[in-house]
Order: sequence, then C-alpha cells, then structure tokens
Amino acid sequence: MADARRPPTLPLPDAGPFRASFWRSPLRGPWLASFLSAALLPLIVVCAVTGLLSHAAYEPGLGNNALFDEGVDLYFFSWPVRPAWLYAVTQGLHIVTGLAAVPILLAKLWAVIPQLFERPAVRSIAHVVERLSLALLVGGSLFLFATGVLNIQLWYPFGFSFVPAHYYAAFVFMAALTFHIVSKVATARRAFRERGVLRPLRDDLEHTEPEPALEGLHTTAPVSAAPPTMSRRLLLGTVGAGSAGLALMGLGQVAGGPFRKLALLAPRGDGPGDGPNAFQVNKTFKSVGIPKADVGEGWRLLISSDGGLRRALSRADLLAMDQVTADLTIGCVEGWSTTQRWTGVPIAALARMAGADPGAEVEVRSLQPAGVLRRATLNAAQAGDPRSLLALKVNGADLSLDHGFPARLIVPALPGVHNTKWVGELAFGSPA
Amino acid sequence: MKRFRSEYGDNPVHLVVGVVSLAVGVWALYKALGLLGIPINFVKWFAGGVVLHDLVFLPIYSAIGVLVAAAVTGGSHSRLRIAALNHLRVPALLSALALLVWFPLILRKAPGSFERLTGHANDFYLGRWLALCAVLFAGSAIAFLLRLRSLRRSAP
Repeated sequence: MADARRPPTLPLPDAGPFRASFWRSPLRGPWLASFLSAALLPLIVVCAVTGLLSHAAYEPGLGNNALFDEGVDLYFFSWPVRPAWLYAVTQGLHIVTGLAAVPILLAKLWAVIPQLFERPAVRSIAHVVERLSLALLVGGSLFLFATGVLNIQLWYPFGFSFVPAHYYAAFVFMAALTFHIVSKVATARRAFRERGVLRPLRDDLEHTEPEPALEGLHTTAPVSAAPPTMSRRLLLGTVGAGSAGLALMGLGQVAGGPFRKLALLAPRGDGPGDGPNAFQVNKTFKSVGIPKADVGEGWRLLISSDGGLRRALSRADLLAMDQVTADLTIGCVEGWSTTQRWTGVPIAALARMAGADPGAEVEVRSLQPAGVLRRATLNAAQAGDPRSLLALKVNGADLSLDHGFPARLIVPALPGVHNTKWVGELAFGSPA
Repeated sequence: MKRFRSEYGDNPVHLVVGVVSLAVGVWALYKALGLLGIPINFVKWFAGGVVLHDLVFLPIYSAIGVLVAAAVTGGSHSRLRIAALNHLRVPALLSALALLVWFPLILRKAPGSFERLTGHANDFYLGRWLALCAVLFAGSAIAFLLRLRSLRRSAP
C-alpha cells in the first residue's frame, strides 16, 4: 500500500507555469499568504455573520416573506425592533466588510497562484481533498464577491436570481473556508513563529529578501526569485490603502451629512437634491408600474382581520386619526441607509380598528402589480411597536410618489425593502 | 496513527473536516441548482469566475506589470528607477482596483435600469473615477519629486 502516497502522476507538462522556477516574485511565500489570510479572516467572518443576520431579518418563516425555499432554517429568533438602526448597521457592515475584503482577496489569490500549477498535481489523498475544496473556496469567494458587488450597483447580468444564488454560494464558501482554516492553521502559525507576525513589514526594499520555504512543507516560496522591486510593506500598504478606500466609500452610503461625500464611487452617495423628500429611493414609482389612478383621490386603504374585510379608509380618514412622528432609518440590503422623520398612523391603531389585537401579525400589501417583495409580513413585536407607522408624511411634507404616496410602511430595524410603499391593504391575523 | 498518516497524507481530523466540508458544499450547490430557473448560468458564473481570474485576469495583469517594470527600469535596478516604478505602480493598482469594483457604474453598464430604479442618472461616475486617478497619480508624482534629491544622493 506504499503506492497510496504516490498516485499515478498526471500527464501535465513540465514547462511554463508548471515549472516551479516560473514563479519569480521574491515576495510570495507562506508568511505573505498567512498575513493576508489573517487580515481577511475577520472581515469574512463579519461579512458572513451579517449576511446570515440579514436572512433572518427578512423573517422568511412569516407569511409570504420567504423569497425561496431555504432547505434549512438558520434563524433562531424574531428580528427585534430595537435599536431602530440595527438592520442599517448589520447590513452596512456586510457591504463595508465585503468591499474591504476585495483587494485583500485579490492579493491572497496572487500570493498563492503558483499552487494551482504545482507538481506533482496530486501528492496524497489528503491533497486531493484539499484541492477539491480549494476549487469550491476560490470559486465560491469569486462568485460571492462578484455577484454582491454587481448587485449593489443594480446591474444584474448573471441570469439567475441573486438572493438564493448568493445565499447558497455562501454555504459552499463557508464550508470550504472552515476546512481551509483547519488544514492551513498549522502552516500559518509556523510562518508567523519563524518569521514573526509583523517583522517582515519592517524591511525596506534594501532589506527585502526572498521568502524562505518552511522546511518539509509545500509552500509558494520561490525557488528562484527575481531581485525584489517592492518591499512587503509597500505591497501590503497598497492593498491596505485599497481596502480602506473601498471601506470608506461603503461607509459613506451609511453615514449621514457631509460624510455622505465619502461614497465617491458607491451607488448611493450624496442625496438627490434638496427638500423634505430628497433622499435615496430604492425603486421609483415609475419603475414598479402602478397605474397613476390607483394612487389618486380614489385610493382607499383596506384593513381586514382574519380574512374578513372591515374598513376602507381614505387618506383624509387616516390624517384625521392620531398622528405619531418618529425618526426611523431605512436600511437597504444593498448597504445604504437614510434616517428621516416620519409621520403617520401607528399600525397598532389600525389593528384595533380592524378588530385585531394590537401586535397581531400583519401582511402589508402594496399596490405594486408584480414582484415577490410587493408584500411583507411583520412579526408581533414589529406590528405592536408604537413607532411602527403607516406613514403619510416625511419631514413634515406629504410623501412623494417615489417614497410611497399615498401611504407607506415604516418600521424600526426592518429591512428597507419590507417597508412597503404604496400600501393598499393591511391584512391582520391569518389571512383566509 | 502513523499508518493512517502515511496512507492518507494527513491526520484524521483533516479527513473528517474535509469530507464534511465537501458534503456541505455539494449539498449547497445542489440546492442552488435546484432553485434557480437556469442552473447553467450559476455553473457558468461559479466555474467561470475561477477560470477568468486564474487563467485570464491574473496572467494579464501580471504581464502588464512585467512589461511596465521593464519599460521603466530598463532592466537596471538602480534605486531611482525602482522608486520611479513604484510611484507608478501604487496609483495604477489603486485606480485599477476602483475600476474593477465600480466598473458597472463607471462604464454605465445598466444606465436605463439604474435611472429607472433610483430616479437619478449615473453619468457622473466616469468623471469621478478619472478625477480619482488624476489625484492618485499626481500625488504619487509629487511624492516622487520630493524624494528625488535624497534618491539621487544615495543612488549607487
């Protein structure tokens, strides 16, 4: 059985990139790969956790909220209403950490590219398992970052539904990453022990030497290095600057006031003009295809309880009820947010009027003719919170059509797109 | 244990975690393919990403890097030449990164849908990116000029 460790050699050429001496950069090696991984890991962990939290925040277990069949329920709690900016922060972090990880991931892939071509292509069964997993790791990471980065820029060239694809690719990636950490942590610790965690950053160009291999391990340390033309700290400083720059652009979309200007190239930077309704629009009125007449004088809000229709209210009826004003944040899944002052009727008051318990689950239905997100079901805490409003005004003025006139939902900590616009109906309790 | 290591190539934990990880990966791929209308598009993007990055994108930017380095240094490794090279490399890498991440906005890949959805045009991103490039390259050039004297003095 001694052959098990020496499987038949694959007929790969022994030239070009398949020859170890092809890879000449003196900077590549186990320390560089480990350092980049150590920088990447906390960003990836925050990005993964906030991604899963976002899935939970949509409350896929409630009503018609599920966007697809999950196959596994990974949410163990009801999404809270406090703090009101919770979703804006978790999702802002998802996008900011994702953006910040991009240059580090690219540098990491550059640092380990020789291993794609290493020979022998297969050293042992363990090596086969690792290489298969690496295909999923690299494929999964590129897939997640590419689809995420395109999605926040509202460009959807992929020809599949973003949410389930991004969700399941994340499981492929997280599983492969877990194994990658288990199989590589010893190498990283050894690289840091032998070279120091930060020591190689002290070397300027004159003192930059090719990275030595770790004895007994297959690493990306060069066998015949070219003379260095860049120090490790300049390379990593450039990567870090790129990472910080992208993070600031992402943060600019979350921050208010003058910090909005930081979102130089990000899609939801400085606001569109001045005025009470001049803040970011997720989807304009024009884009959703509601006939103009449906939101005119004849508009009525239907409220029902357990399937029985109780009332049809005009906008004047709603304005005649007790109005509540609250400062609430719209946090978009695309990583931008905006806080405004909303005025309207509490959902709980409309529940009482419909004959339902205040705090009964409610499905909020838009006049939008199509799209899975034209309705949203609120959990008991969201439906019962006194700040959960059917908003009629924003910053003292009537809502604009783009912001949901005649009436829209606004609920603390609710994912942005669930704050349904152009509301036509509130169905309390279990609909018939 | 020694026998396991020599047969398998690593310790048993490696095998267990590896197999579980691959199983979860295959399950998730299976779920994704079952849910999506056109599964081949998912496969194209998943596998295509690796091929495009590893066999197209990385070789091309490496080759550009080698060519630029040769053009700037002319094969010489004088401190001055290498400093000049790096004062080009850093702004070039950062500009390219910004373009890579934000190209759908900069190159207006979806002008119609962006404007229809958000209510405003995305025609200013190219200008902003060019301005960012200008600031990066100009800043780097100024830094190089400021270093020039000390570089000349210590040049071999």
